[in-house]
Amino acid sequence: MNTSVNLGGIKMKNPVTTASGTFGFGLEYQPYVDLQRLGAIIVKGTTPKPRAGNPPPRIVETPSGMLNAIGLQNPGVERVAGEIMPRLAELGVPVIVNIAGDTVEDYALVARRLDGVPGVAGLEINISCPNVKKGGIQFGSDPRTAVEVTRAVKSVTGLPVIVKLSPNVTDLVGMAEAVAEAGADALSMINTLLGVVIDVDRRRPVLGNITGGLSGPAVRPVAVRAVWQVYRAVSLPILGMGGIMTARDALEFILAGATAVAVGTANFVNPRATVEIVEGIETYMRENGFSDISELVGLAHRA
Amino acid sequence: MSQLVQAEITGHAEPVPGVSRIEFYAPGLARAAGPGQFVHVRCGEGSDPLLRRPISIHAVDRQAGTVKIMFQVVGKGTAWLARQKKGLLDVMGPLGRGFTTGQTRRNCVVVGGGIGAAPLYFLLQELAREGCARQVKVLLGARNAGRLLIKEETERLGFAVRVATDDGSAGHGGPVTELLSEELQANPGFIYACGPVPMLRAVCGMLESAGVPGEVSVEERMACGVGACLACACRVREAAGGENYRRTCVDGPVFAAEEVVW
Repeated sequence: MNTSVNLGGIKMKNPVTTASGTFGFGLEYQPYVDLQRLGAIIVKGTTPKPRAGNPPPRIVETPSGMLNAIGLQNPGVERVAGEIMPRLAELGVPVIVNIAGDTVEDYALVARRLDGVPGVAGLEINISCPNVKKGGIQFGSDPRTAVEVTRAVKSVTGLPVIVKLSPNVTDLVGMAEAVAEAGADALSMINTLLGVVIDVDRRRPVLGNITGGLSGPAVRPVAVRAVWQVYRAVSLPILGMGGIMTARDALEFILAGATAVAVGTANFVNPRATVEIVEGIETYMRENGFSDISELVGLAHRA
Repeated sequence: MSQLVQAEITGHAEPVPGVSRIEFYAPGLARAAGPGQFVHVRCGEGSDPLLRRPISIHAVDRQAGTVKIMFQVVGKGTAWLARQKKGLLDVMGPLGRGFTTGQTRRNCVVVGGGIGAAPLYFLLQELAREGCARQVKVLLGARNAGRLLIKEETERLGFAVRVATDDGSAGHGGPVTELLSEELQANPGFIYACGPVPMLRAVCGMLESAGVPGEVSVEERMACGVGACLACACRVREAAGGENYRRTCVDGPVFAAEEVVW
């Protein structure tokens, strides 16, 4: 049985990875998960300089989901490249670094610094973080700046580049087509959906940042729809994510057209979710007579 | 080392209305746990409520292999948990950095407000085990006599307990910090505190004025519990100067009193 996939040049032994920001730098989960069972690890959004992040509260639970507004807290690309990557590289699992910034130059700077760092197998451009005032989201909602960032990153790195798309746009397919045209090697979708929760007793928003990004099972149908539509329009491989808790959830994304899947919020609920999903996909393939995972990708379109 | 276990519930009580105490069997966790650490408990099988709830460890019996948690029902997660009288609990732990104990901490005062008394009982178990119950003063605050927690069992461990209630129905009438203010006159060597934010803020201010070191256990909304998601940020003063956020789940929940920015 073959579960290996090629995500725009990133070779993964199975289609399961972690969603950026939900798995830290991977090592935090080592007591619970055999990290070597993962197809890849996508680590926390990394910016040129360290970032302190947003004032708390940074999360609030919602029906079958949660809002977060962490604000890209991270130690900066120097520490990621110099201190964290050497430890992660020992695992022998492809590491994809999510990169973010306030300007096009910021993205290029982080991408250039990570080029050639052992263990880094690819970059995921975060043009869709809803929780920082400057940068992130405006790149994700304006196709022209998204194209600019994609081109800038591609021009300074030899690594495969995945562009992570925001669902908070009117024309997701148009955005996907634009960044594909600009040279992206793969697309990941979806980032979180923008939301607000009000504390009725205190009569004010719960989150320090007021708005936050919604994730968890509540967003899954929106995410599956995004994968479904983009798969029909764009030929790039897709990394699907949004509320995946179980292998069956992951299979929905694959059947809708995702080559690989990322598990995010589920890690908080079940720290072994990723490995259980790897095993569940294998069981499904065995029980349903599939010998290669590629047979399942987009299969629902051909039903 | 922290572990993820399906732990059998071995006991359940409601010491005061709206507060539950659950005992479960988890010998590895009981052995590894230290006072001030917490467990991350799944509250339901479906996706609503979705996230685990971080709950401080209230007591351990290493010989019996059992752990107790005590918590106030504040939402649907804790409400679900309070209904569990038997069966298995999905528990991760022990997690976080707890209280530091030892020789230099013996002449100390332990201050608890409301449900904040829960983790302090585990600390008192350890202090009693270290043989310093007679040197330690315990101050417990509550809204009224009927909501006082851990008083009798703390006295059974050999500690002298002073009580404060908001309505004066037991002990001193007024906030527990007024008792602490008296105790600080006697130059204690160290203070341990857990309770609501206004109480902890006041305690930290008093310790700063008195020049007495201490540790406080804080609470913050948490998702992963293992230091990955950066949700549970606590603002602290850095030794090198300036302020920064630290993770309540792995850098806390116990912080040095002088570190926390309220």
